[in-house]
Amino acid sequence: MTEEHIVTSFDDELRELTDGLIHLGGLAQIALANVEKSLKMNDHDLAKKTIEADKQINALQFELEEMTFNILAKRQPMANDLRSVFSSVKIILFLERIGDMCKGVCKRIAKGDLLNAKSPKTIDALVGLTKDVQNNLDLVLDDYAQGKADNALNVWRSDIKIDSSYASILTAILEDIRNKPEAIEALVPLFFIARYLERIGDQATNIAEVNHFIVTGEVLTDDRKLEAEEKTVF
Amino acid sequence: MNDQLNNKSLIQCSNVNVFYADQQALFDINLDIRENEVTSLIGPSGCGKSTFLRCINRMNDVIDICKVEGSISIDNQNIYDPEVDVVELRSRIGMVFQKPNPFPKSVYDNVAYGPKLHGRILHQEDLDRKVQESLERAGLWSEVKDRLHEPGTSLSGGQQQRLCIARAIAIDPSVILMDEPCSALDPIATAKIEELIDELKSKYTITIVTHSMQQAARVSQRTAFFHLGKLIEVGDTEKIFRSPEHEQTEAYVTGRYG
Ligand SMILES: Nc1ncnc2c1ncn2[C@@H]1O[C@H](COP(=O)(O)OP(=O)(O)OP(=O)(O)O)[C@@H](O)[C@H]1O
Ligand SMILES: [Mg+2]
Repeated sequence: MTEEHIVTSFDDELRELTDGLIHLGGLAQIALANVEKSLKMNDHDLAKKTIEADKQINALQFELEEMTFNILAKRQPMANDLRSVFSSVKIILFLERIGDMCKGVCKRIAKGDLLNAKSPKTIDALVGLTKDVQNNLDLVLDDYAQGKADNALNVWRSDIKIDSSYASILTAILEDIRNKPEAIEALVPLFFIARYLERIGDQATNIAEVNHFIVTGEVLTDDRKLEAEEKTVF
Repeated sequence: MNDQLNNKSLIQCSNVNVFYADQQALFDINLDIRENEVTSLIGPSGCGKSTFLRCINRMNDVIDICKVEGSISIDNQNIYDPEVDVVELRSRIGMVFQKPNPFPKSVYDNVAYGPKLHGRILHQEDLDRKVQESLERAGLWSEVKDRLHEPGTSLSGGQQQRLCIARAIAIDPSVILMDEPCSALDPIATAKIEELIDELKSKYTITIVTHSMQQAARVSQRTAFFHLGKLIEVGDTEKIFRSPEHEQTEAYVTGRYG
C-alpha cells in the first residue's frame, strides 16, 4: 500500500522502523560475510573485530525495540500496519540472534586452533555452508526491503539443503575424531561452528516466514509449505 | 477465540436501499447478522451506519423524507411487511444512542417505563424484580440501588449510558442496537460498557456502530465496513483488522482514508 496515512508522523515512524531494520539486516550480513572470510583465511583479527561489532547490533536492536514499543502504544496499528509492526519485533530478534551466532563462530576462530584440526576439507565445507546461509539471508532481507515474500519458498527449500550439508559435515567431523583423536580439541570447535551456521540458516527461514506473513496475513505452516512444495515439484 | 463464530443468522437484510428525499444514503445492502454475536458497523462519517441501524428497528419511519426499499427479516419475518406492528417490533429491539439520553424521570422509572408501556408486567413486585434484574445485568445495580428514586440525569455519563442499556434490556429484546455507545465516555466507563456487551451477547444479538477499530476488535465477532452508502466488506472481525480483503477497508482501518 503506497497511500500515506492521514497522520504523516505515523508514516515517518514506520519508515524509520523499516529503515532501521534494513540497517540491522545489513549489520548481520556484514557479520556473516566476516564469518566467511575469517573461516576461509583463518583471520583472527577479523574474527575479533566481528566479535566487537556485535555490540553495534545489540545497541540497534535495543533502539528498534523501543521504537516498535512506542509505535504500538501510540498508534495501535491495524491490518497491514499491525502485521508489519508485529513482524518487526520478530525480525529484530532473529537478526540479533544471527549477530550472536556470528559472534559465537568468530570466538571459535579467534581462539586460533582450527588449523590444528588438519581438516581443510571440513573448513571448505563450512565455508560453503556459510555461503549458502549468506545467500538465504540476502534473499530474505531483499524481500523484506521490498515488502515482498517472493523468495520465501526458495529459501525454505534451500534450508533443507543446508540441513543436509550440516548433517554430512557432522558425520565427517565425527569420523575425524575417530581417526585423529589427538586433534579432538581443534575438531570440537568445528562441530560448534557447523551448529551455529545451521542455526543462522534457520533464522533466515524464520525471516522468510515473517515476510510471508507481512504480505499475506497468513502463517506459513509446515503443511502449507509442503503443499506449495508439492505443487512446484512438477 | 472463534467459539462464537458461525452462529445462525437472525437478521437478514436484502437489497436494502435508503433515500432521504431524492438523496440515496444506502445502496443495495445485503448483510446477515448472526444470533448471539456482536456485529460492528464501521466506516467514515456519513457513510450510512446510523441510517442502516435505524432500518433494523424501523426508526427511519419517523423521518418523513426517508424511504426504505428492500427487505429486512428478523426471525424470518420481513419487518417491512405492512402487517407488522411497529410498536411490537420495537419492543423486541432495544436501542442505545451515542449520547446517554435517560428520560427526565427517576432511575427506577427509566427502567420500568418500557415494560409498563408494553403492558407486560402488571404486578408491582414483578416490576421491582424486572428493574433490579435489568440494572444488575447492565452492571449498574450496586451503584444505584440506594438512588432508585433520584432522577436518571443525576447519574454520571457512564452510569447514564448503562442506565440506557438497562432500559433497553428491560423490555426483553432479542436484538440490541447501539450507535456509538461509548463516544461520550471516559476509558473506564467505556471498558465497563465493553465488558457488558461481552456478557450480553449470550442473551442478545448486538449490533454496534463504532468509530474505534480497536473497540470493534475488542467487542465484536463480525465487522462490516461501509463506505459512501455501500457495504464494502463484511467478515470475521479478526480478518478485518488482520488482513482485510478490500483496499478501501485496509485504507480505513489503518488511517489512510483521505
Ligand atoms: N434525517 C436525515 N435527513 C436527511 N439526510 C440524512 C438524515 N440522516 C442522515 N442523512 C444523510 O444520510 C447519509 C448517511 O448518514 P448517517 O447518519 O447514516 O451516517 P453515519 O455513518 O452514521 O455517520 P456518523 O459516523 O457521522 O454518525 C449522510 O449523507 C447524511 O447526511
Ligand atoms: Mg451515525
